[in-house]
Amino acid sequence: MNAIEIKNLSKNFGQKQAVCGLNMTVPLGAIYGFIGENGSGKSTTEKMICGLIPKSDGTIRLYGKDHTDPDVRAKVGVLIETPGCFPGLTVWDNLMLQAANLGIRDAEIEVIRVLKTVRREGAAGNKYKNCSLGMKQRVGIAMALLGAPTLLVLDEPLNGLDADGMRIMREVFTDVVKDGTRSIVVSSHLLGELQKVATHYGIIRHGKMIREMTAAELDADCRTFTALQSGEMSRTKALLCCKYSRVEEDEAGYLRVYDGVTPEEIVVYLYDNGICVSEIRTDKIGLEEYYIDLMKEGK
Amino acid sequence: MMKNDLKFRSPTFAERIRGMLGVDFYRLFHTPVFYIFLAISAIIPAMVSAMTMMPDPEGNTMEPLYSNVWQIVAASEPLYVIKSIADYANMNMVFIFGGIMVSIFIGHDYKSGYVKQLFTTHAKKQDYMMSKTVVCAFAMACMCISYLIGGTAAGLLVGYETDVNVGSLLIAILGKIVMSLGWASLYTFLNIIFRRYFGISIASSFFFGTGILIIGAAAVVENLSLPASFLNLFLYGSSVNACLASNIWTLLICIGVSLGWTLVYNLLGTRLLYKSDVY
Repeated sequence: MNAIEIKNLSKNFGQKQAVCGLNMTVPLGAIYGFIGENGSGKSTTEKMICGLIPKSDGTIRLYGKDHTDPDVRAKVGVLIETPGCFPGLTVWDNLMLQAANLGIRDAEIEVIRVLKTVRREGAAGNKYKNCSLGMKQRVGIAMALLGAPTLLVLDEPLNGLDADGMRIMREVFTDVVKDGTRSIVVSSHLLGELQKVATHYGIIRHGKMIREMTAAELDADCRTFTALQSGEMSRTKALLCCKYSRVEEDEAGYLRVYDGVTPEEIVVYLYDNGICVSEIRTDKIGLEEYYIDLMKEGK
Repeated sequence: MMKNDLKFRSPTFAERIRGMLGVDFYRLFHTPVFYIFLAISAIIPAMVSAMTMMPDPEGNTMEPLYSNVWQIVAASEPLYVIKSIADYANMNMVFIFGGIMVSIFIGHDYKSGYVKQLFTTHAKKQDYMMSKTVVCAFAMACMCISYLIGGTAAGLLVGYETDVNVGSLLIAILGKIVMSLGWASLYTFLNIIFRRYFGISIASSFFFGTGILIIGAAAVVENLSLPASFLNLFLYGSSVNACLASNIWTLLICIGVSLGWTLVYNLLGTRLLYKSDVY
């Protein structure tokens, strides 16, 4: 059984097809990074999973049941875009209202628990409208965690979080899935952060799933490269470009050679041409570069 | 826990509706708009009474709008098409203020994103319609009572007569309070239709609340030579019918019409919510 199984999912807004024939599988215990460009259909897909918008075609099954089944709906925690809180009420009141909607007994204990989880127990008395963006986002995640849901669907949960907030969220995510029965779907444009926690990935483009893979598969798929620096970077680059097919300069000022060549080979080649390498290492591209490459391929 | 041990339990209808009603009542009592409209409901009849007793620029006292305190609460007979402002300015006005209050109340659900948060849980669309109808009906019933207090106090202060058939008066008041349910369901439905357009929600609630459509219906009834009581099938007609000449049948009609339209609007609203994008 999978946490989410989607087959041929489609959604039309009038003439516009936002999602077309999407297939998606989120296993139990997975932190599923859902990635795509703006307008690729991520949020629409998530809203359909959460029952906020009806699908045009296809099937969505959560834990083997239809996604509209109230049995499973009761155990889905959601943060789509922004938290649904009343600005004039306090953080505590907003969480208590959602706890009442979820039919949680001992709501006060549960609200304290989720506030502690997101390290915001001190903010309970603040009016929601006075909270900062990052704090609102934490309240939204706390709201999604109410009632210990079996499935979390989080749309851009890392927006507005500071470094500490992101670290806490990573801890929360890994803690949620540690028993192997609960799963999280996270969409985010902060791919570096996502890569630190995700166990599975789904990459969507123009409403279609173009790739689904595990973190191990991504790791195997990511190309290795050799990064180096020398005293004469422009000449070094010219020399490397003569011999190797793909040489690029990265943001940190290193030259990257993607041809699967060893550092020793490069050092010897450059030395023979009168260039001394000051620093050299082998590395792998990250999710962000993998994703950008994939998007370029598509274009 | 093993992977196959996942168990889900559906909350019962009673659990769902109890939770939702609890939330909606909490919100109502914590919404300043509710208290503002309670105050408006009390002040408006007092203002109408006081202003119609004011002298004109030449110093002549105007003819009073009412002769009896209880005319502020209900007209002396069921006047489906009004002849003077006095026929109109009674407790039926609460259904106009109530419409605006309901629009603001439900509009907040959408503006804040609460609806989005709600419908991702086990909450059902029919629960939402029912809960909103009940809570908004309660708010409008409170406004009726507020109107009654304000209108009575103003009428007594101005010095109107107090003679009335107490039974008919009580039935008229009860009838209008009962009609709050039907009106609340209509406004809830209208706000579901125009959920993305707050201004149109308010305008539509105001438009329907004024009972302006009853004029068209009255013309149709007259042309078809149908009895005027046919208009009691509508919310406004039935609300007007609850007057100072009411009897027990009036109350039964109010109950029937109010419940009937509540059922219709709840079914329509639920269907609309299921068929359309919630957020």
